[in-house]
Amino acid sequence: MAELLVQQLVNWITLGCIYALLAIGFSLIFGVLNVIHFSHGDVAMTAPFISLALVQLLATAVGVSGPAWLIVAALAAALAVGVIGIVLDKTVIRRFRDAPAMMALVATVALGIVIRELIRHLYPQGSNPHAFPRLVSGVAFEVGTVPISWFALLVVLLTIALVALLFFFLKMTPLGLRIRAASEDRVIARMMGIRDTRVFRATFFIASAIGAIAGLLFASYAGVTRFDFGVMAGLLGFSAAVIGGLGSMPGAILGGLIIAGIEVLAQTFVPDGASYRLVFVFLLVIVVLIFRPAGLLGRPVMEKV
Amino acid sequence: MLELKDVDTAYGSVPMLRGLTLSVRPGELVCLLGPNGAGKTTTFMAVCGVVRALRGAVEVMGKDIGRLGTENLAALGVGLVPEGRRLFPGLTVIENLRLGYDAVSGRGPNFETQLDKMSNLFPRIRERLRQVAGTLSGGEQAMVALARALIGEPKFVVMDEPSLGLSPKLISEYFEITQEIHRRGTTILLIEQNAEMGLGIADRGYVLVKGKVAQEGDAKELLSSKAAKSLYL
Repeated sequence: MAELLVQQLVNWITLGCIYALLAIGFSLIFGVLNVIHFSHGDVAMTAPFISLALVQLLATAVGVSGPAWLIVAALAAALAVGVIGIVLDKTVIRRFRDAPAMMALVATVALGIVIRELIRHLYPQGSNPHAFPRLVSGVAFEVGTVPISWFALLVVLLTIALVALLFFFLKMTPLGLRIRAASEDRVIARMMGIRDTRVFRATFFIASAIGAIAGLLFASYAGVTRFDFGVMAGLLGFSAAVIGGLGSMPGAILGGLIIAGIEVLAQTFVPDGASYRLVFVFLLVIVVLIFRPAGLLGRPVMEKV
Repeated sequence: MLELKDVDTAYGSVPMLRGLTLSVRPGELVCLLGPNGAGKTTTFMAVCGVVRALRGAVEVMGKDIGRLGTENLAALGVGLVPEGRRLFPGLTVIENLRLGYDAVSGRGPNFETQLDKMSNLFPRIRERLRQVAGTLSGGEQAMVALARALIGEPKFVVMDEPSLGLSPKLISEYFEITQEIHRRGTTILLIEQNAEMGLGIADRGYVLVKGKVAQEGDAKELLSSKAAKSLYL
């Protein structure tokens, strides 16, 4: 029993970190643009495909392969997805920042469909699942008799490092200060000489690149990627952000851990829980929306007039 | 410093400013008065470029604000104090001031020196620098909003109803500071409802009624004018 608990604890933290990274993107974009970017999950899940394509390209064009090159390809994919985020903001999302929420919702949902269908049709055999290897393999250490993988360790350390970097960037750099100011009051931010375009560009790059890292970890955790994984990744990430409080970074982390916790608890203690895990997750989302619409750590929602 | 020529603005189909013409010359302190709904805040927003003129021209420091854009105003040396303070409530006082300084100075090297000057001018905020702005009292927020506009040493400051919601003691203190800033050479457009205090420190004044200038002239004459009183008071 103790071994099972330790194993599930590791699964919980690993999955919670991945969901937290996804939720951070939703929260960051919502905080700055006041737009819920429903295609964020799809944007994030392009990273495993870009990474696989780069690995293939490196193997055929340069003749190099192996785990180190997978990491290189993954890093390049994260940067590429960051740039994709900027392009999507400039071409689509920014146009809806002052529009009614319903328009932004439809536009970003449609954008997600476009991304999924493009992967399906442009990637070789895009409709099929593609095996995605563990970014790192092997056992780092054991707790009792439970092996703790290097992958689980990587996920946790990477999440801590990314959250710390993001915190440092937002709190300690001039651009971070401007992003926080614009997220509080865009009109006054402009009066303070803050250019919307720079703030949005930086926000989308960071949110999309962090989302891409979450997407890579998500595919690596599952051992497979599919063109439509973005739907589930998006729903889980968004739910985590909502539970924690949209716009709140600590809330996104807490929400990710709560959602993963419920999934793991359902799988461990409910008969056939793996099939029902999402029922529990989304029931919780409903309960939070009823009793704490602003989320556990969010500020009360105010309607724009 | 500022020229509004025959400016019309509207919110949707509701006209706000109707052929508004006013000017502020270098070194002046001009007070724009008017009752609720006269278009004072719309004038402030039009000067900032947040509300676009449907007709006429708004020129700040000789530049057309429509082409310039709100975000470029501060770099020309314009400090803004919006209605209701509008500090960034989740940022600390020092972060609010840093943004005000960077806006006008272009992230110059003298922030600490300027911060000292502001702390001397506004002793109330000295101990509050690390405090989150949203937790300050109304009076302290008013001082921080003015300090944020002044810290980059702008040539021209536009203030929208800064005395709103302040106690009489704080209002006097606020107007004394405004007068002192003006004495040091800063040009000011003071948009106010408090006619006696506003005109009391101003060189010239305008009385705005239903989006148009109903009366203008020397501040002291306006203050004693029966016509102005009937229009406004």
